[in-house]
Amino acid sequence: MKVWVDRNICDNHGQCAIAAPENFWLDAEGVLQYKEDFPDSDLEYIEDAMDVCPVQAIFLKGEQ
Amino acid sequence: MPTTTDTVPYLDISASDFAMASEAVRDARDAHWFARTNYGIAVLSYEDVSTLMKSPRMIQGSARWPQHHGVHDGLFHDWWAKNLLVLEGEDHHRIRRLANPAFSPRKIKALGGRFDELAHELIDQWIDNGEVEFVEGFAAPFATRVLCIMLGIDEKEWPTINRLASTVGAALGVNIKEEIGAIDAALEELHRYADQLISDRQQNPKDDFVTRLVDANRDGDSLSDAQLQNLLVLLIFGGMDTTRNQLGLAIQSFIRQPHQWELLAERPQELAAPAVEESLRVNPTTRWVTREVVETFQHKDLTFCPGDTVHMFTYASGTDPKVFTDPTRINLEADRKPHYAFGGGIHHCLGHFVARSDMQAALPALATRLTNLRIVAGGDEWMPDSGNTGPVRLNIAFDKRATVTANSG
Repeated sequence: MKVWVDRNICDNHGQCAIAAPENFWLDAEGVLQYKEDFPDSDLEYIEDAMDVCPVQAIFLKGEQ
Repeated sequence: MPTTTDTVPYLDISASDFAMASEAVRDARDAHWFARTNYGIAVLSYEDVSTLMKSPRMIQGSARWPQHHGVHDGLFHDWWAKNLLVLEGEDHHRIRRLANPAFSPRKIKALGGRFDELAHELIDQWIDNGEVEFVEGFAAPFATRVLCIMLGIDEKEWPTINRLASTVGAALGVNIKEEIGAIDAALEELHRYADQLISDRQQNPKDDFVTRLVDANRDGDSLSDAQLQNLLVLLIFGGMDTTRNQLGLAIQSFIRQPHQWELLAERPQELAAPAVEESLRVNPTTRWVTREVVETFQHKDLTFCPGDTVHMFTYASGTDPKVFTDPTRINLEADRKPHYAFGGGIHHCLGHFVARSDMQAALPALATRLTNLRIVAGGDEWMPDSGNTGPVRLNIAFDKRATVTANSG
């Protein structure tokens, strides 16, 4: 499973970077950066990041 | 965009006749992306509010609000210093990380049916009268009972919660020092409510919001009783006045645009979300959001320096003609860019999914049952159009819809 951010929706609020800092972070310009891959043990935090996104721009893709 | 300081507009935001929704503010925005004010920089354009609202080079700007107004100790002073609104860095992130899952939109969505029932129950109480004082008859009980539902407080206690929250809410007014005795007394009562809820859920966990906060745990870390207490009070403080005011402002906007109100009545489920978003965009209760610069940086023609106060003007940015067509009008069928009525960045409103969900129940319930809304002559009174605004009184007359067109649930 991979995580995917829809850049057309993402507004760079950075709430995901608070929820799952291993996977999401804001660069020096305040633009969201992220890793698509994550260990299964981080799924809970990835889901927190998806939930907390104010504009709901984060999705999972791939096999369950 | 070459500019010199003499082309930068100036706004006196403390003047008694200053209004956000005014030609002066719109003209200033159309002239330049920011204005100087008697108290900091005002960012006016959509593009620049969008960028600067989330800037990591600024922090939330009201940490020293009580001190700036002569309040140096006491219950409110101490509560404010530790509340999520003013915490920064890891202190802020840790609490937000633990609290956020309780606000999950999936969890909140489950309460939509209950919010809808509440809206209809309130409307039933006065629909046969043909008129109502909207704040007292709907906005205040709805906003407060939503909080009771969220927190698991008996809804019959809403008048007490309403009174306490309104009293503490006065702490955001410039008269905080004169009213601090009453504010501290109300806060003490709210603390008692919070403590009771926390100890009850610790002993008798339920499938509810407070239990989710009490049980919140991440890598062995959890919220202390003091942090839980602070957070529950913040929810009451931040969730009541704002929702009450925003509902009144939404009605004010829809009264100006009866055609849009009829559209909402015809397609309540489909247009519930745009109705809430458009009301927030053209008539936000939070008229500005304040930041404090912590690091020198350049943005366009302006150098920001540490200590500078910067206001993000939500009304001006939400009605910017460069981004929105027919900008000051609600259009439920238009594809709009996001507004910043809930702030943005790491301090983005924590309770926005609750606010959105309850207003998405309230507005369609009202639209499907009331038509031909008008303000009774002389029946409305408003807070100043700055800071946080809304109706003090809003007497409206209406016709009862002959048939309920659809169930908004």
